[in-house]
Amino acid sequence: MKYRIFFSMFGAAGIAAVLSLMSPTPAQARIKLATLPARDKVSVRFDHPTAVLVEEERTISLQKDVNMVDFSWAGTTIDKGSIVFRPVKADSKVVILSTSYPPGENALTWAVYAPAAGSEAFRISYLMGNIQRETSYTALVSKDESTCTLRHNFTIRNWSGEAFDAADFITREGKRFEKAMTNGEAKKVLVNKWDGVKLKKEYVYDTTRHSEGKVLTDYVMMNARDSGLGQIPLEFGKVRIYQDDGKGTTAFTGEDWGKFTPIGDELRLNIGIAQDIKIELKKMVNDRENVRGNVFDTNEVDEYEVKNFKDTAATVVFVVRVQGEWAMQNDSAGFEKFERMDNETIKFWVPAPAKGTPVKLKFHYKRLNNW
Amino acid sequence: MRRPAPMGEACLAPTGPNMTRTSTILLLAIALLAPALSAKEELVTLPPRDSVQLTIYNSEDLTLVREKRTLSFKQGDNRLQFSWSNTLIDPTSVEFRPVEDKDGNLEVSETSYPPESHEMLIWTISCKKEGAYKAEISYFTSGISWSAEYHGIVSDDEAAMDLTGFVTVHNHSGEDYEGASVRLVVGVIHMVERVIDLAQPGHRPKDAPAEDPGLDSQDLRNLAEGLEADSAENGMSRPKEIDKSGLSEYYIYTVEGTETVPNNWSKRLRSFTIAGIPMKTVYHFEPQKFGPLFTKVLEFKNDEEHKLGKEPLPDGVIRLYRSSKDGALSWMGALASKYIAKNDEVKINVGPDPEVTMKEKRKSYRKSDLTFERNGNTRWIAGWTDIEEFEIEIKNFRGRAVEIEIHRSAYGDFDFASNDTFTAEDFQTRKFTFSLAAGNTKKLAFTVTTRQGSNAKK
Repeated sequence: MKYRIFFSMFGAAGIAAVLSLMSPTPAQARIKLATLPARDKVSVRFDHPTAVLVEEERTISLQKDVNMVDFSWAGTTIDKGSIVFRPVKADSKVVILSTSYPPGENALTWAVYAPAAGSEAFRISYLMGNIQRETSYTALVSKDESTCTLRHNFTIRNWSGEAFDAADFITREGKRFEKAMTNGEAKKVLVNKWDGVKLKKEYVYDTTRHSEGKVLTDYVMMNARDSGLGQIPLEFGKVRIYQDDGKGTTAFTGEDWGKFTPIGDELRLNIGIAQDIKIELKKMVNDRENVRGNVFDTNEVDEYEVKNFKDTAATVVFVVRVQGEWAMQNDSAGFEKFERMDNETIKFWVPAPAKGTPVKLKFHYKRLNNW
Repeated sequence: MRRPAPMGEACLAPTGPNMTRTSTILLLAIALLAPALSAKEELVTLPPRDSVQLTIYNSEDLTLVREKRTLSFKQGDNRLQFSWSNTLIDPTSVEFRPVEDKDGNLEVSETSYPPESHEMLIWTISCKKEGAYKAEISYFTSGISWSAEYHGIVSDDEAAMDLTGFVTVHNHSGEDYEGASVRLVVGVIHMVERVIDLAQPGHRPKDAPAEDPGLDSQDLRNLAEGLEADSAENGMSRPKEIDKSGLSEYYIYTVEGTETVPNNWSKRLRSFTIAGIPMKTVYHFEPQKFGPLFTKVLEFKNDEEHKLGKEPLPDGVIRLYRSSKDGALSWMGALASKYIAKNDEVKINVGPDPEVTMKEKRKSYRKSDLTFERNGNTRWIAGWTDIEEFEIEIKNFRGRAVEIEIHRSAYGDFDFASNDTFTAEDFQTRKFTFSLAAGNTKKLAFTVTTRQGSNAKK
């Protein structure tokens, strides 16, 4: 004798249903009737960067021998191929014999063998669409800009068509919180808060980031324990930055997208333009030399005049790019240190005194046209 | 005039001296955490704002609004609903923050955005100890901006200028702000999304600010009283002071006292007045900075020597007038000024001046050093050198000496030669600077030798 148990999920109505029927009829003649075993547990997992996995547990009464368990849904987007059905207990004697997919329906049927009649807890896992997640951060930077309090928020937008009366929502890094969510609702929760996170302020001149050559103000923080972070990888998300103004309130000082930052990596955030630092580029030498037919080298001197109108001295990081084969010349000057980042990119750290005293970075290089 | 808010009849419009105009309402209500959203109608408290602060940015269409309210919480979970209508608030920016809650009795456990309204959110706030607490609600709104303007009155001899700076707040947010403290941020912040897009995803609301029905007569009376009260408070028989302080890469201008800025109104306040700023007039030919014409530029520095230098001058429109000896003003012109940092130079381009002219002539042109290449029986020109003699004549028809700066560029593999003194600005520009006495003429002569074709080595 075969026993048939039907699940139905009517997501649009926010109802999950399990129907059972003892019947010897074949699967294609399914009739959805009767009992509604409630979900024992639901968890919604966001541990994949893009997919959302829903896991629910239900206790189903099984008869001895083969049972047909139907699972169907409407108004929700479930990836049929992703559905996994298994007993919760590792030592369960229940065996899933087969899975059948009726044509043209959002449904499937499991043939389940039970050695004896009784209740069995099952876990059904599946990928569900239209549940969006968003990570965002709020950084409150200290007046001296040396530390910040970083708040990590997780927002879920439920457009799945399914309502969750009480579900465990699990973030990528394993944070778990129980919430009820109706269809169409969004919820934002604070999942982490780190105080005293060390940060470094950098002034950066990089024409690939700002084509007009304005100086950018970046905050750089390491996702590491000794910086006050380093507990979890930081998900991609918008970071809104406020600063303590020292007068009992704060000011919003900018926002940026924070890239996914693994533990040990740095997070760089641009807050805006440092208008009080001006850079003027002049090409002082641009000569051809070592002309060989139609082939020649170049001898070039780029001179950057730096004026820091702030009341305090600053260091400006220049990120300069030269294409092709080239070599910096020894009379380059005006920098504290430099680092050739790759063949095309060189970084200079240029100290800029306060109150507008001009200094110059001289970058002398030769482009070599060797064949 | 009071429009219904999304909460329907359960919501009461707030009252109090610094409430918003009634066409746009911010609603706040507390209920004990109920098992379902349907319990939102259990409203028990609707407190007025204690204060409101606007922080307005000029580089972005962004204003940070902070309002403080005193709220009563019961022990356990409390549900706080915040809704708005017809305003341009970014829902993702709305934050609740307890103020002076040193024991940490209040904690926001979640923020919920109900499906039925884009203009509403509900905080679930757990409270350890029943009582009244001060809280700050902050959010970003669009539609409020500020701009800087300057009026410069130049002395008849152009040796000095009286400069007055203004800041003007423009409110098109759909919301009236009465009795608000106002802060203006000078600086360019980085934004990754526009607030106006976040405030109205995909479409403008039916009652966008431009379609605002305006104020009724009672509103106008109330606002007029508010405006009067603003100007009357602190016995204001003088313009308000604007405090300026630096924060990170920005300057924050804090307007003294409070201001009332109704929707669709603008309000201009004086930022500073400095009399007798010494300056000089320099005539520039510098195409890269001032365009292709020989132009008059008024120059001074934003430093103490020039009675300035206390704060940067934000970008804005400068309107220039000339003061004649009889005290009358004549219009010189208006131009957009960029941000001027402390200690930086200020150069105001007032355009060409027919009383100081510049004319360039090419006096001669010849070729030399012709080189040929042979291709079979044919010779082809491969290289040559152009030799050009130029003359620039500058005439000063004015009754005073003027300063002159000529930036002359040449291109290619060239030599630049002149008996007049010049300096190299960069690899292709040479600069002449000199004074020219009243009524005088000066001629600059120079030769540009340019190697072309295979003669070119640079």
